[in-house]
Amino acid sequence: MTLSLPPLVYRWDLDKTYLRTEFDRARDLVRTAFQKAHEKQSVPGAAALLQALGAHPRTARVDFISGSPEQLRKVLSEKLHLDGIRVDGFTLKPNLQNLLKGRFGAIRDQVGYKLPALLEARQSAPADAEEFCFGDDAEADAFIYRLYGDVVAGRFTPDQLRDIMLRAGAHKKGIERTVMLLGTVTTDRDPVRRIFIHLDRHSPTSRFDAYGARVVPIYNYFQAALVLFDDGILDAADVVRVALEMVRSNGYSIRRLANSFEDLLRRGCIGADMAARFEANASEAMKDVPGSEGILTEFRRRVRSAVTQRQPDSSTEEPLNYGAILDSGPLKFRLPGTH
Amino acid sequence: MVTVALDAMGGDKAPVAQVAGAAQISLDPQGAHVILVGDERRIAAELTKVRHDAERITIEHTPNFVPMDASPRHALDATPDASVAVCARLVHEGRAQAMVSAGNTGAVILACARHWERLEGVRRCALAAVIPTERRRGERQDPFSLMLDVGATLDASPEDLMAFAVMGSAYAARISRNPAPRVALLSNGTEANKGREEIVQAHQWLKVHPSLNFIGNVEGVDLPRGTADVIVTDGFTGNIVLKMLEGISETVLELGRYAYRQKFAWRAGMMLLSSGIKQLRELTDWQEYGGAPILGFDGVCIKAHGRSEERAMANATRVAAKAVRTNLVGAIKEGLARAREIKQPVQHPVVVEPALGGDA
Repeated sequence: MTLSLPPLVYRWDLDKTYLRTEFDRARDLVRTAFQKAHEKQSVPGAAALLQALGAHPRTARVDFISGSPEQLRKVLSEKLHLDGIRVDGFTLKPNLQNLLKGRFGAIRDQVGYKLPALLEARQSAPADAEEFCFGDDAEADAFIYRLYGDVVAGRFTPDQLRDIMLRAGAHKKGIERTVMLLGTVTTDRDPVRRIFIHLDRHSPTSRFDAYGARVVPIYNYFQAALVLFDDGILDAADVVRVALEMVRSNGYSIRRLANSFEDLLRRGCIGADMAARFEANASEAMKDVPGSEGILTEFRRRVRSAVTQRQPDSSTEEPLNYGAILDSGPLKFRLPGTH
Repeated sequence: MVTVALDAMGGDKAPVAQVAGAAQISLDPQGAHVILVGDERRIAAELTKVRHDAERITIEHTPNFVPMDASPRHALDATPDASVAVCARLVHEGRAQAMVSAGNTGAVILACARHWERLEGVRRCALAAVIPTERRRGERQDPFSLMLDVGATLDASPEDLMAFAVMGSAYAARISRNPAPRVALLSNGTEANKGREEIVQAHQWLKVHPSLNFIGNVEGVDLPRGTADVIVTDGFTGNIVLKMLEGISETVLELGRYAYRQKFAWRAGMMLLSSGIKQLRELTDWQEYGGAPILGFDGVCIKAHGRSEERAMANATRVAAKAVRTNLVGAIKEGLARAREIKQPVQHPVVVEPALGGDA
């Protein structure tokens, strides 16, 4: 049965998605640049989740596309290796090149860098592959991943795409590169099945409503694992491993995990049926975990108490109205008090 | 981390201000875990609009709440699962260590009385309020003194006044970090024999209490001066004093507005003073202080102002968490035990119903 299902591709951003990176202040930026691989910290649960995804029989590729400069390739590759993460593709931003060529706008540009990078990476993926994308709320990742899906689905003419990218502040080099790639990867369907947005800045989840139900803002990777369990990608044991990494390495309490679980239920990202399925399967996966019965009892209580209304199936989504999204405000979320 | 049950449905701006306040606390590394109690759908809808950390917020669903203008007893009898009662129950069950509500004051006190035990030596609980003063106090140069009772009960016996003094002193020491708060009785003269019989008796006991910094009686004129850090009085007097101070403050502001409108020279003068007035307003901003504690129970309850907005709700929650972290209830118990050594109180009937229903 598994063989007949489409292969899966995972696209990951690095900073604030996989790695706990601070670069809101110049001091943080300098520290990040000089950190050694073993000093870099991954976001709680991210390593366990990526290990599970990388080992999945349907996984065709795990690609990283990051805005970090090329000069960090060695240290970042080493970090991923230390964490036991499968890496099939690793794209970093040519910031030095942009600087030397005077393309200052390109240094800050996200849309004009990531979108063509995703399209290029798509060329290496099986044509029928489904994609799961991971980003964060510090940049315009939800917008870029949704746009990428629509571009691959052939929903734009070159002029339409140029217009959207221009309005999104993309640098002209990036726009031209994207338009050139337009015909090379176009299929008749959108390959992006899920977009997970790690809420590093805790931005309001309603900010992502316009992107549709397949965009799931997550507070942590336990939530991503639960959704992937619901999607039939992970099994309960994988989810438990993600939770255990968060408990053991990052001091997560059962209450924080239970709150995360309940938050997903409330937002309709998972349904009560899934919760019951998880509970049934997790009992077996957790039989050797101390205190597991208490954990499951707490989860059971939350399922009963949460007033849930599942969001509609993401496959029914219409193409996005990018004009309306761009009209509604800046793509990047600014923390209160920052400019 | 301290867990605070927050009544999401109590207050003029509920649940918007309550949810936003809890959201703010959830992002504070030194904050608290918050259980938002109320209508889950409404709370969840508000949460999606604000920055928050969902890992540190739980929702306890209940469809009922006590309206601001309802009779506390009737409302709680009719809806024992009203949000304010559920908050008190959560503390009683140990699922939360403190509660915060901006709802109907009488209902908050009654909910505490119905779910919590009164501390030994406390016959009546007290509602404490902060009043802005000229003098600063404590480590943080706090410009507020604490007055209690301001409306939980009408009258007070000497034993009640002594218990209020102990509770107010413990609160000021823990929350304002004032190691030896000056405690005074509100009377019509500073002499020890001035005032009603219960004040004179309380004065005698308070002056020999070993752990209180009792400075004697103060008069009304001493309140804004800040002569005392903790002012002890009965709920009837305290409520009148508090409302009068609020009225004076509003009148002064209105006079300022009047002067601004009337003459150009006055307007120019006001403009020159504007930064000072702004600073003064910030300094004495009740929203910064958060709320008033209800003291005398074996739990922590902060009653926020009915008009509280996000900042006031967040600050009330911070105060509640701080009261738990600094073991306020333990300190009160200790002070009460010492008070019992001074004088075995006369046995009065136990009073649990709030006397004043207004929003103190």
